[in-house]
Amino acid sequence: MSAPYQLTPLAETRPGMVLSDVVRDGKGNVLLAQGIVLTESMLASLGRHGIDLLPILQAVPAPPPLDPDAIQARLDHLFRKHDRDDLGDWATGILRRYMEDYRLQREVGA
Amino acid sequence: MNRLTPEQLAAGVQDLPSLPAVVMELLSSVEQEDIDISVLAKKVSHDQALTAKTLRLANSPSSGLQVKVTTIQQAITFLGFQTTRNLITAAAITGCFPSGRCNGFKDKAFWRHSIATAACARALARRMRFNQDIAFTAGLLHDIGRLVLVTCHPEAYGQVVAWQVQHGSDWLAAERAVLGIDHVDAGIALADHWNFSDTMRQAIAYHHAPDILGAGFLATIVHVANAIVHALDLAGDDDDVVPRVSSVAWDAMGLNEEAYLHLFRETELQFSEMSTILMA
Repeated sequence: MSAPYQLTPLAETRPGMVLSDVVRDGKGNVLLAQGIVLTESMLASLGRHGIDLLPILQAVPAPPPLDPDAIQARLDHLFRKHDRDDLGDWATGILRRYMEDYRLQREVGA
Repeated sequence: MNRLTPEQLAAGVQDLPSLPAVVMELLSSVEQEDIDISVLAKKVSHDQALTAKTLRLANSPSSGLQVKVTTIQQAITFLGFQTTRNLITAAAITGCFPSGRCNGFKDKAFWRHSIATAACARALARRMRFNQDIAFTAGLLHDIGRLVLVTCHPEAYGQVVAWQVQHGSDWLAAERAVLGIDHVDAGIALADHWNFSDTMRQAIAYHHAPDILGAGFLATIVHVANAIVHALDLAGDDDDVVPRVSSVAWDAMGLNEEAYLHLFRETELQFSEMSTILMA
C-alpha cells in the first residue's frame, strides 16, 4: 500500500469512506475489496463479523488552486529585463513562453 | 568607490579557505579517467563530515539506488566513479565558504541557484550527449567568483549589493561599476588557484558570453541552464531576474517545448532533493 491510510475504529467510520486495503475476517477470508466505498449496510455487516478497525484511505490534501494572475505577475517580474517586442531577443522570449506554459499548466501540443 | 586591482584579487584568492586536498585533486582531474579509485575512496573516508554528506547524497531517492550505501567505496561500486566524484565535490564545495560575512549578500539564495544550475546543466547535458558530470560541476561552480569576492572583500561587495539594488542592474554591471572587476574575473582567478581543468575554467569564464569564439559547448550548456534556473525561480530571491538568453546558445540546444517542460520538471525535482541535503 502506498496510499496514506489510517486505521479507524468501526464506530468512527461513515458511509462514503474508502477502504485503502482489503478487509478480511479472522480466518483470512476477504470480506471487502480494496477501494470499496463503504455503505451503511457494509458497516453493519462488518460489525457482525467482529471487525473493529478499518484501513480508511486518507484524502491527500489537494494542491493549492492555481492563481493564474499571481503566477503571471511573478513571471513578468522575473522577466522584467525582457521586452516582448524585442524580436532580436527571441531566445529569452521562447524561454518566457515555455515557462508560462509550464507554470500555468497550459496544454502543449506535441 | 572600492576599486580592486588584479593584485588585490589574486591576494584575496590566496587567503581563501582551502578545500580538502582530495577535493582539489578531484577538481583538477575531472576529465581524467585513470585515477586510482581505491586510494581516492580511502582519502575521502578520512574526512568524516565530507563522507557523511556524500553518503546522504548517494542514498537520496534521485540516485535510484536499491541498496543503502554505507562507505565511499560502496558508493563508487553502485553509482560509478564519475557520479560519486560529483557528489563528493558538491558536498565539499558547499561547505567550504563561510556565510553571513557580507551585508546584503544572500548566501542561501546563492547556493540554491548554484545547486539548481548544476542539476539543470546535468539534465541538459544528458539530452545533448555531453558529459553529465562535468556539466554538473560546471553548473555548481559557474558563479563561484561571486563567493570569492564576498569572502575576500565583504565590505566592498556590500557596496556592490547596494549599487545593484539602487540601479536594478545585473550583478556583472554592478560589480564592474563598484569594483572595476566582476565575478567572472574572480572565478577565473579561483580556477587558476584551485587548478581547475581548462574546460571548467572556460565554462566559468564564458557562461555570460557563450557566443564568443572558443567559449566551448560547456559554457553554452551552463549559460542556458543558468537562465532556466532564474526563470524557474528556484533561488528563493524576490529580486531574481532572468538574464538575456543568447540565441546562439538556445539554438545549439535544439530542443522542442515538450523536452524543455520535462527538463523544467526534472530540474525542480533534483533540486529539491539535493538542496535539502547540501544546505542542511
